[in-house]
Amino acid sequence: MSERGPVVCPGDRLGQESNYIAGAGTYGREGFIYASIVGRQEVTSAQGDAEKKLPIVTVTSMKGGGKVVPQIGDVVTGRVTRLRQQAAVVDILCVGERALHTKFQGQIRTQDVRAKEIDKVTIPTSFRPGDLVRAEVLSFGDANFYYLSTAKNELGVVYAESPAGVPMVPISWQDMQCPQTHVRERRKVAKVVQNTQEASK
Amino acid sequence: MEYVTPEGLRTDGRRPRELRKLGCQLGTLESADGSATCEMGFTKVLAAVFGPRDTAGKLHPDRAVVRCQVATAPFSAGERRRRGKRGPLATEQAATIRETLAENIHLELLPRTQIDLYFHVLQADGGILSTCLNAGMLALADAGIPLKDLVGSCTVGYLESTPLLDLNYIEESGGGPLLPMAYQPNMDKILMLQMDKGKLPVETFEVLATLATEGCRAVTGQIRQSLMNHTKQLAVARGSV
Repeated sequence: MSERGPVVCPGDRLGQESNYIAGAGTYGREGFIYASIVGRQEVTSAQGDAEKKLPIVTVTSMKGGGKVVPQIGDVVTGRVTRLRQQAAVVDILCVGERALHTKFQGQIRTQDVRAKEIDKVTIPTSFRPGDLVRAEVLSFGDANFYYLSTAKNELGVVYAESPAGVPMVPISWQDMQCPQTHVRERRKVAKVVQNTQEASK
Repeated sequence: MEYVTPEGLRTDGRRPRELRKLGCQLGTLESADGSATCEMGFTKVLAAVFGPRDTAGKLHPDRAVVRCQVATAPFSAGERRRRGKRGPLATEQAATIRETLAENIHLELLPRTQIDLYFHVLQADGGILSTCLNAGMLALADAGIPLKDLVGSCTVGYLESTPLLDLNYIEESGGGPLLPMAYQPNMDKILMLQMDKGKLPVETFEVLATLATEGCRAVTGQIRQSLMNHTKQLAVARGSV
């Protein structure tokens, strides 16, 4: 499907916008597509109905992808670092399936933990430091934090360790249990689905 | 003092429209997200890029913020003395570099982040601003930050009724006008053009501007070549030829 091309530099003209779709590492200007990073040019032919869709042209950097930063609406993965009265602080580690190159801080406020009965939410019964969380970026937030939300079934804690240091097993949408000590702890548990893209369709 | 001999040679043996040797090395600083060293003759600048990273302070929800600092080493020029990074000259250079390079970045693709540019002038022999801009361009490309185009920069001057390309320190001190220029070759756009010192008739200015554009084109050609070579080396190192 994908065809590997030459090495290109920013500003190199890759093709016309009427013949290609500008993918990652490229941009369109005045009807043409130009490279925006240094890397190898690749052309991926359209999936499905090939006659209607245009092939996608991308540029892939040799240093491991272009730069990713969290954007509004992205599903991110992060680790809970500390709890506050009104919010859990999260270090964002991944955007989608791509790892970030530096740390970005976000927080999940009480009103964004779940969709229903939001006035009964308390942070310590939803998250603990060390948990891995899937969340959606709500907004760019204030000067210090991105605002994240776990108010969907497939969002919330995906991995947590019990006090014994054993990965816990989810037993309901708000409980997790340690398989060794049978200790129960309260979490906002994510309903993990195999492919989130298919699940949203 | 004679800057151009009757045979048409300059103090360092170049012709009036000849660039100095341009040296580019990428990835010279391990700890930075992107880094480069650029040499134009005996002028040598190390540039380091950190980011795009989480903002510390002023927030722009729709674009990235670029910050820039220029430091000059005490041993960079003939006389050893401390040269600050907060002096008026360093601040002005930093502002010029920041505005010029930020214009070439797709800032809107990196909202709520900041990009830090640090320049260290290791050897100063004229054309510091141009060398900084070239080093910064290379470091930004090394960091993988989305750019609109390549940027090349060089300085032209006018001494003894002769337009000179890429002046060294002796020629910069000659009292004639200096025109540093930054140029995007594919977009055919002048990003920055200054005129420091002196005055010029418009006809001469046009000659100098054309010469600067040609010089910048030559510089971007070499910048492009070094970026390509570096990328190919990385590809070989990773075994993905």
